[in-house]
Amino acid sequence: MSKSSFLGADTIALHSGYQPESDHGSRAVPIYQTTSYVFDSVDEASALFNVEQGGHIYSRITNPTVAVLEQRLAALEGGAGAICTASGMSALFVSFFSLCSAGDHIVSASQIYGSTATLLKHSLKRFNIDCTFVDINDQKAVSGAIQDNTKLVFCESIGNPGLDVSNLPAIAETAHAKGIPLVVDATFATPFLNNPIEHGADVVVHSVTKWIGGHGAAVGGVVIDGGNFDWLKSGRFPTLTEPYEPFHGMNFWEEFGPAALAMRIRCESMRDIGAAMTPHNAFLLLQGLETLSLRMQQHVSNAQAMVTWLQKHDAVKWVNHPDIDANSHTKLLFPKGAGSMLTFGVKGGRDAGAAFIDALQLSSNLANVGDSRTLVLHPGSTTHSRLSEADLVSAGISADLIRVSVGIETLKDIQADFNLGLRAAAKVVANQAEV
Amino acid sequence: MYIEVDNANTFIATGGKPFDPSLPTVVLLHGSGTDHRGWALQARWFAFHGYSVFAPDFPAHSLSGGEALTSIESMGAWLIRALDEAKVTKVHLIGHSQGFLVALEAASLLGDRLKSVMALATASAIPVNPALVEMAQTNPTAAAEMMLQWGFGNQSQYGASAVPGMQPIGIGARIMANNPLATDLSACNAYTQGAQRAQKLASTGCPSCVILAEKDRMTPKKEGLKLAQDLNTQAQVVKEMGHMLPMEAPKESLYFMKKFIQSVEK
Ligand SMILES: Cc1ncc(COP(=O)(O)O)c(C=O)c1O
Repeated sequence: MSKSSFLGADTIALHSGYQPESDHGSRAVPIYQTTSYVFDSVDEASALFNVEQGGHIYSRITNPTVAVLEQRLAALEGGAGAICTASGMSALFVSFFSLCSAGDHIVSASQIYGSTATLLKHSLKRFNIDCTFVDINDQKAVSGAIQDNTKLVFCESIGNPGLDVSNLPAIAETAHAKGIPLVVDATFATPFLNNPIEHGADVVVHSVTKWIGGHGAAVGGVVIDGGNFDWLKSGRFPTLTEPYEPFHGMNFWEEFGPAALAMRIRCESMRDIGAAMTPHNAFLLLQGLETLSLRMQQHVSNAQAMVTWLQKHDAVKWVNHPDIDANSHTKLLFPKGAGSMLTFGVKGGRDAGAAFIDALQLSSNLANVGDSRTLVLHPGSTTHSRLSEADLVSAGISADLIRVSVGIETLKDIQADFNLGLRAAAKVVANQAEV
Repeated sequence: MYIEVDNANTFIATGGKPFDPSLPTVVLLHGSGTDHRGWALQARWFAFHGYSVFAPDFPAHSLSGGEALTSIESMGAWLIRALDEAKVTKVHLIGHSQGFLVALEAASLLGDRLKSVMALATASAIPVNPALVEMAQTNPTAAAEMMLQWGFGNQSQYGASAVPGMQPIGIGARIMANNPLATDLSACNAYTQGAQRAQKLASTGCPSCVILAEKDRMTPKKEGLKLAQDLNTQAQVVKEMGHMLPMEAPKESLYFMKKFIQSVEK
C-alpha cells in the first residue's frame, strides 16, 4: 500500500480520484473548462468560503479535473494531499513560501536544477530568505548548515544535471534530528521509480511537465504533503501552527493535522499567488500519468542500454548515470533503475559537443527533460548559463557535459542518431588535430 | 483550545472560534484511534452558526496528553470532567463509532445538561475481532491499515475526496498510526451495556438521531438499525458510504447533523 491507497501503483495511475458514476458515465476524466461554480444557495457559498464544506469555488483555487490529478498523485506518492500548480517552479515556490517567511533560511543541495538554484540564491533572497548550499550527501555539512532559523532541507532525489542520487533516509534523519522537514524534488525519479515519502521525505514536488506528462504538451507542477511531519513539535512553523488571520484565525495544524501544509497552500498560495494549473493541462497530464509505469520501463531500459553503448564508443570521453558503479543508497532507493537521464562528454570538449548536438536528427536539442522523445542539451550554455564558473563546478557541470533525456523510441534508432552526432564530433577532433 | 483534565493537557477543537460555554454546545466524539480532525468541516460550520463546538482528542490521542482510557465507561466519565472543566451547560452529544458508545455513557451522567444525542455510523455494541485487537497491539500500523481498508467505502478506496486534492485514507493512516488503537478497540469490545443505555435514554424522551452508512463494514447497517430501535428513533442511511462517514461524506453528515440539532434547538 502507498499509505494513501490500497490499490497498486498502476491501478492508482489509471483510476484514483475519478469514478465514472458521476458526469454522465464519462469513462475519461472530463475537462471542467470553467472558471467558477454555481452555489446552491448563499448558505452553501458561505460554507465553502469558510471551509465548512469541501467543494469548488473558483478554478484558481480548485477545479474538478485538476483535483483528480492531485488526488491521483497524492495516492501514488502516498501523501495526505496534493496541490497542482501551473509549473514545477511554482510548485517549488509555493512550498518554500508556505514554510518560510522573511528572516528564515533554507539548506539546499548544491546540485539542483538551474532555475531552482536561482530561486533559492537570488529571488527568495530579495524577501530576506537565505539559502546555504551544501553537498547533500555529506551529513556533517547538512547538519552544520542548519541554523536556528532554518525551515527546510531541500534536495532533488536525482540531482539535475549531475545525476547524483540523494541519500534520502540519511538526509531525512539529519533534518528530523533538528526538527526540520525534508522537501524533495522527485522530478527525475517519477513516482514509478522512487517514492520519497517512504524514505523519510516530508514534502514531495514534481515538475509534472516531464515524465509524468511524457508528451511534452503541458507544463505543470505538484506539491504533495507527506503528512508525517509534526509541525507543532518542531516549533518552527508559525504559518502552520498559529492562527491565520485571513481565515478567521484558522490553525492549519490543529484543524487539518496531516494535511496542514496542503491546506495552507490551498488557502493562501492558490488564492494570493494564483499559479493554478489549467483544467485542460490537468487533462493532458492525466493522459500521461495513465501510462507512466509502462513508459518508465522503456525509458530506463533504453537509458541503461545507451549507457553501455556510449561507454564503448570511441568518440566518447566519459559517461555518467547513477546506475554506473551504483553506491548502496542508489541501489536501495532505485531498485528499478535510477532514471533515464544520462550525461556524457565527447572527446574534443565544448566544440565537439556542439557538433554532436547540431548533427542529431531524431533527438531534439531543447530545454526540457522527460519527454517520451529523446532530448539533448548543453546545460553550460543554456539552463545553467546564469551560474558562475565556481557554481557550475559545485553543481557538477563541466563545459563539455551533454545532458540526454533518453526517450522511448526504438533503441537502434536512438543509437543511429547518436552515431551521426558522434561522427560529427570526431570530425571536430580530427580537424583540431590537423590545425 | 487546551484545557487541563485529570492533570493532563487536553486538546479540544472548537471549530476555529473561541469557545463560549454559554452557547448550546455541540460535542463531537471521535472513533477508535482517530481524533477531532474527522470532524474538521462540521466543527467549523457549527462554530460559525451560533453554537459552541467541543471536539476533544481523548487522552493520549493526537494533541492530548494523559494515559489512554481503557473502558467506554471511563471515557464517558472523563468526558463529563472535561465538560465540567469547560463549564459547558447545554450539551448535544454527537458520536461516530466508538464516540457514540462514549456518548451513551456520558448521556447517563449529564442530567438535564443533555439536550440530544446523535449517532453516526455506529451501533449499540461494537464487538472487535480478537485477531484485530491483537494485531493493534503487536503491529498497530497493519491494524490501522486493515481498518482503513474496511472502514472507508468504495469511493474513498478509489481516491475520492470531499475536499479537493486530499487523500482521506492517507490522512487517516497518519492519525491512527500515532494513537492508542489497541486500547480503544479493546474498550469497544468489552462494552456491553449500550443497548440498555440506549433504551433507558429513549425512556427519558431525550431527542436522538441515527445516521448510518449503507456500505458500513465495521458497524454494519443492520446493527445501526437495532440501535435506532433501542433509541426509539428512525435511522437515515447515506448511500454508498462506508464506516468513516464523517470523513467520507462530510457534507451529507453535516446536512443531517445541522437539521437535527436545529430541530432540537428550535
Ligand atoms: C528537477 C526539476 N525541477 C523543477 C523543474 C521546473 O519545472 P517546470 O519547468 O515545470 O516549471 C525542472 C525543469 O526542468 C526540473 O528539471
